[in-house]
Amino acid sequence: MNRSVLFIGILIAAALVVILFVGLGKDPAAIRSPLIGKPAPDFALREVGTGRTIDIAQYRGKPLVINFWATWCGPCWEEHPVLVANARALQPDVQFLGVVFQDTEEKILGFLQQRGTAYPTVVDDRGKTAIAYGVGGVPETYFLDASGKIVAKYSGPMSGDIIQANLQKVLRP
Amino acid sequence: MIPILGRLLILGSLLAATAGSVLGFVAGRTRSLDGLRWARRFAYLYSALIALAAIVMEVALLRHDFSVSYVAQVGSRLVPTWVTIVSLWSSLEGSILFWGLVLGIYIAIATWLTRGRYPEYQPDAIGVWLATAAFFSFLIAGPANPFHTVANPAADGPGPNPLLQNHLLMSIHPPFLYLGYVGMTIPFGFACAALLKGRLGHAVLKPLRESLMLPWVFQTIAIMLGGWWAYEVLGWGGYWAWDPVENASLLPWLTATAALHSIMVVERRGILKGWTITLVQATFLLVILGTFMTRSGVFNSVHSFTQSAIGPTILAFLAVALLFTIALLAFRIDKLEVEGRLEGTASRESMFLVNNLLFVLLTFTVLIGTVFPLIVEAVNGKQMSVGRPYFDSMVIPVGAALLFLLGVGPALPWGRATGEQIRKALLPPLIGAAFFALIGFALGVRGAWTLVTLAFAGYAAQVTLAQMFVPMLQRIRRGDSVGSALIEGQLRRGRRRFGSYIVHGAVVVVIVAIAVSSSMRQTTELTFTKGQTHKASGFDVTLLGVEERHEPHRFATIGRFAIARGGKPLATLEPRMNQYQMMRDPVGSPDVYTTAARDFYLSLANVDASAQTATVTVYESPMIVWIWIAVIIMGIGGLIALIPPRAPRVILIETPETA
Repeated sequence: MNRSVLFIGILIAAALVVILFVGLGKDPAAIRSPLIGKPAPDFALREVGTGRTIDIAQYRGKPLVINFWATWCGPCWEEHPVLVANARALQPDVQFLGVVFQDTEEKILGFLQQRGTAYPTVVDDRGKTAIAYGVGGVPETYFLDASGKIVAKYSGPMSGDIIQANLQKVLRP
Repeated sequence: MIPILGRLLILGSLLAATAGSVLGFVAGRTRSLDGLRWARRFAYLYSALIALAAIVMEVALLRHDFSVSYVAQVGSRLVPTWVTIVSLWSSLEGSILFWGLVLGIYIAIATWLTRGRYPEYQPDAIGVWLATAAFFSFLIAGPANPFHTVANPAADGPGPNPLLQNHLLMSIHPPFLYLGYVGMTIPFGFACAALLKGRLGHAVLKPLRESLMLPWVFQTIAIMLGGWWAYEVLGWGGYWAWDPVENASLLPWLTATAALHSIMVVERRGILKGWTITLVQATFLLVILGTFMTRSGVFNSVHSFTQSAIGPTILAFLAVALLFTIALLAFRIDKLEVEGRLEGTASRESMFLVNNLLFVLLTFTVLIGTVFPLIVEAVNGKQMSVGRPYFDSMVIPVGAALLFLLGVGPALPWGRATGEQIRKALLPPLIGAAFFALIGFALGVRGAWTLVTLAFAGYAAQVTLAQMFVPMLQRIRRGDSVGSALIEGQLRRGRRRFGSYIVHGAVVVVIVAIAVSSSMRQTTELTFTKGQTHKASGFDVTLLGVEERHEPHRFATIGRFAIARGGKPLATLEPRMNQYQMMRDPVGSPDVYTTAARDFYLSLANVDASAQTATVTVYESPMIVWIWIAVIIMGIGGLIALIPPRAPRVILIETPETA
């Protein structure tokens, strides 16, 4: 028996398998943003339909779910009813807010009128807010606690379970 | 009906593979010829059943039978028929079934070609092949079953991944990749059989080399097709991003290339046997690792399938395969008898050894760069990514060293050489080196690495050309006519050598094209309003207009540009943004004006149809097209080297009567 082959082989194999095994449980879509644990960047944007300005400071005191989306994005269509249903169930204890970027107000309004909504949607005209939050692609959702701190970020369409799991993090840190 | 039939076929294939594998290993121990015969029959049975299962799935796809879960997942009545056909490998479950099909074809052919010829090795080889087949059949039967019954089938489905529909290349890249990946199972079987027997005799080297060479050819083409696709579709002007999944396709290619070289040292000198076997086995293990990487959802990549439950199963298989291989190596590697020894430091075989070490170094470099983010995350929980700078800074020097060896190695004689012989072999190609470097310099190359690469390439090109035609020149010197020397020396007798040097020559072209295109690329960003003309890299670019187009499965915004040079119109380019229903972000589709000297590449950065404005990134890269052409030539060279030396004579001798 060649002991050095056995030893080196087992060493490389074990290291590789362990690393891959640890990696298995992780969801690469659950991107940890450097902003997690930090106060969320402030913004005040125009609400679609009413034209009034919504400042996120006004939602301090309860958890806030900020969902970045656009009408041209397929998975955003898919997650929209999930978000609306959860917002209906959880508001007013938890506030939901949609932020649309790279889109036109007319298309957004049409989308919301057709599919319904349960929370305000604002327009991020030049994408400044999305940049401040480090949005990589839509949909992307941020979970803020009552003090306005970002607790979690999720990239990809929402499901009821994902919303629940992330709100748990917000409520019980 | 179809789901049940499919499941039965898969279960049958699982049983056949398991039974055949056990029989193969038993026959390997008992040397029972009956056992071997039955193992072979089960191998054919497995191949037939899995092929039937794949055909059944194709039928279900073509008939839009949405009661089959996989069809419900990827089928659509809206997409063209060719998309429906390639849907077989467009999504996870189908791709594993396709894997099984390719493995079935390989196993059937390998079993048929080696029947009765390698009685010592064949039983264990079949055992290993069918054990792998059994695992994949298990995957298809269980965690990745495409044949679930859908209780209330819908009238229509969503269609396959839009990226697959975006470009024809994407439908031919995966089959090539599978033909490469899956094919590595066959040499792995021979390598394991050799270890189980404790003997790597001369006879088994031929099937080992050939069964490695064929998938190598496919893998080479597949990697190129992937790069070409990225270049034509993704719109960032490049073709390789060191993405985990790209690396997954490169890793087994590197070890397979190393093994193809070390096999020659085994043939000539009877040394490096254990090393060669280890490389062949590593190739297969890296294939399984790559499969895990693409299908486990551990790595974020444009190429990977979505997260799935089969990750743990593949990881378990990888662990078992690793354990099996390591145990086999540890217990048997010392039994492989060494028949010769390494002679002289400046000999061809020692250059082969250095070549091998460099390939293995490259493999580790890429492997570590790929899994490093996972290591970091496992250790301290931080997320990070290893980017281009790491890979470039590591791979460029090793690549240059390999190119250097590609020149020096073949120039040196086998065995011990005198100083005079070495000087005679190594000095003349310096002319080629100087020639290439000077041409590059004259054409404006100033980067140090690029000039070094060009010099090495010139050296290698001269050696390659000289070596390539050695047999022909010898015959001409002996008085043969040029025609008969060409046919007899190059095509008939020296095919393997000729093919190998064609590969080498093509590699020189690929490396030069990569070095020149990446170091001399010019990028400009230009903003246009309709009718406006800008100058870019000597071309006049005019925005003719922006249009929006609704297509059944996507919505496109297209910028139309006229390209002219010196007042002469050359082409109209239409880079576009495609927004697919199921995609999060729009997919940019660049458009390219290709000439032999350079590519002129337009990619939309921003486009507004109502204002008729567009911002494009313009990439002007020299020599790009030579990468694709030369890789295809590499594949052809590999195939030439594969044609068996004793081909039927009728091909070359004129015999009008036999027609």
